Amino acid sequence: MNKLLFMLSSLLLLTFISAIAGLHFGPADISSNQVLQCILGSCENQINQMVIWQVRVPRVLVALVAGMGLAIAGAILQNTTRNPLADPYLFGIVSGAGLGATIATLSLGDNLSIALPLAAFLGALFAITIVLLIAKVLQRIEQLLLAGVAVSFMLGSATQFILYFGEPFATNRVIFWLMGSLSRVEMNNFYVIASVLLISIIIIIALHRHIDALLLGDESAASLGVNVDKLRLLMLALCAALTATIVAYCGGIGFVGLMVPHIVRQIIGVTTLKLVIGSALIGGSFLIWVDIIARSALPNAEIPIGIITSALGSIFFLFIMIRTRNTN
Amino acid sequence: MRAGKHQNTMSRQLQVDQLSWSINHNSILKNISFDVSKGEVIGIIGPNGAGKTSLLRCITNQQQNIRGAVLKGSVYLNNKKIKQYSSKQLAQHFALVAQKAEAIFSLTVTDIVKMGLLPHKGLFALNDDHDKAQIKRALVKVGLAHAEKKMFNQLSGGEQQRVLIARALVQQAQILLLDEPTNHLDVYYQHQILNLVKQLKVTVIMTVHDLNLASQYCQRLLLLNQGQLIADGTPVEVLTESQLSSVFKLPCQVEQRATTQDPTLHQPRVFFSLPPEQNSTNSVGAQDE
Repeated sequence: MNKLLFMLSSLLLLTFISAIAGLHFGPADISSNQVLQCILGSCENQINQMVIWQVRVPRVLVALVAGMGLAIAGAILQNTTRNPLADPYLFGIVSGAGLGATIATLSLGDNLSIALPLAAFLGALFAITIVLLIAKVLQRIEQLLLAGVAVSFMLGSATQFILYFGEPFATNRVIFWLMGSLSRVEMNNFYVIASVLLISIIIIIALHRHIDALLLGDESAASLGVNVDKLRLLMLALCAALTATIVAYCGGIGFVGLMVPHIVRQIIGVTTLKLVIGSALIGGSFLIWVDIIARSALPNAEIPIGIITSALGSIFFLFIMIRTRNTN
Repeated sequence: MRAGKHQNTMSRQLQVDQLSWSINHNSILKNISFDVSKGEVIGIIGPNGAGKTSLLRCITNQQQNIRGAVLKGSVYLNNKKIKQYSSKQLAQHFALVAQKAEAIFSLTVTDIVKMGLLPHKGLFALNDDHDKAQIKRALVKVGLAHAEKKMFNQLSGGEQQRVLIARALVQQAQILLLDEPTNHLDVYYQHQILNLVKQLKVTVIMTVHDLNLASQYCQRLLLLNQGQLIADGTPVEVLTESQLSSVFKLPCQVEQRATTQDPTLHQPRVFFSLPPEQNSTNSVGAQDE
């Protein structure tokens, strides 16, 4: 127990340090002292004040909640489907969001302020609705993931079809959006994501014993009084809403939900409460650091954040596979 | 004929009344009725496909939700229809120990025993010291106090069964249902588990393949065949040569042996053999599962 407490407080500290570190990086040259002063409320000049509070703080905060949300969504999907490879992205959520974003961008042109996230969100909900309908017909959780992959490809091909015939400039924009970026986030994006995240966490805490019961099989959970079908549907919907909200503002950021819970299981535990708290802290810190890399790796350009998470994620995954093969 | 009948109706805990279950007009269970008194240890026996596991599931209203399935008749728990209980209340009364549990991820023994708290906990309630003591007591009772931090999947089949029984103890259920508790176990663990189950002082209903184990550990047996309750009574009453050979379609011999604890109490031992003309042909069919 003490070890667990130690682990969690270290992670909390890590998250805090990551957030502070995130505020230091950026194209504007602001010293550590100045950054600290600005955070504490006494900024030397107006420009720094603006850069810190209107650019960097929202960006770090959105990275934090987006990382938390994606990691939690992955953790919950993995526990409720009893599949360590489940990830919100495999359920067609991003392809759905991509389709929505594509249609909005190509039909509305430049007036996209609120339309893009809204269309992406609706697209994501559309995708997950199809997956859930299929799930209801199949009634087999083993097949749910495959259904998600199928839906994902279906919507992906629709998106590509539209893009292929679309206007090149708009097409470009969609493609960049799909790669994921935190460069345009604002403070109100943070409020929206944080609210959805908070509601999700409250629901998960309330139902953590029920989700745990699923880990030993549906029959076993049912004998403990769990309504398995309802619980699984609720959790899928919750993960969908969480991911859709994040994707709507940040675009495609893959592999976080797959990678982070995997690490948490190794160092903290597999039961839902531990897994979700650990995933939130590690996921949040992780995405802040990835965003720091995205901002500062190249001198005069930003790398789309989704490219980095996918690159890291795929390497991590191969590493895990090789390691488990060796231990077996 | 039946042990339960002579007992006072006040101690009647469970009553199964004309229970039938069919899927697309295929009868799985046909018109089954029996009463269970508090503290009885009951074995459900019968050939594969007789409906043993289905009966276990239907008792707790957990029959599979299959299209075309129709459940008729009623089950009463403490004289109240089981359908009037919520699933949470049912979980406070019944605990199920499945044939085999496969844990995904590295769940520890404690993680699994802790699951038994679920039916007794509110949504935001955390585990207190009382809960922890209860988990500890359950593990001591099943002889696994030393293994609380071990990974469930690394335990032997017998130990896994004992973990599940510890979970049932934490669940504080008064009726313990076991589905083939000895199926994956060697002889030593078979006896260890059944002995443990018998000592728990709760009502036990379990499906058992091995008739001799059933005879040795159950006060009362229910013999099922093709969904019908063929016999209900003490092992001496149920395990008769004529009944068994007709149900299992094999000639058999039953020998009455005095039990080790009480020489006046007889315990039937059952021996099956293939008739000589079939012995030479394919005998693989006799091996089930």
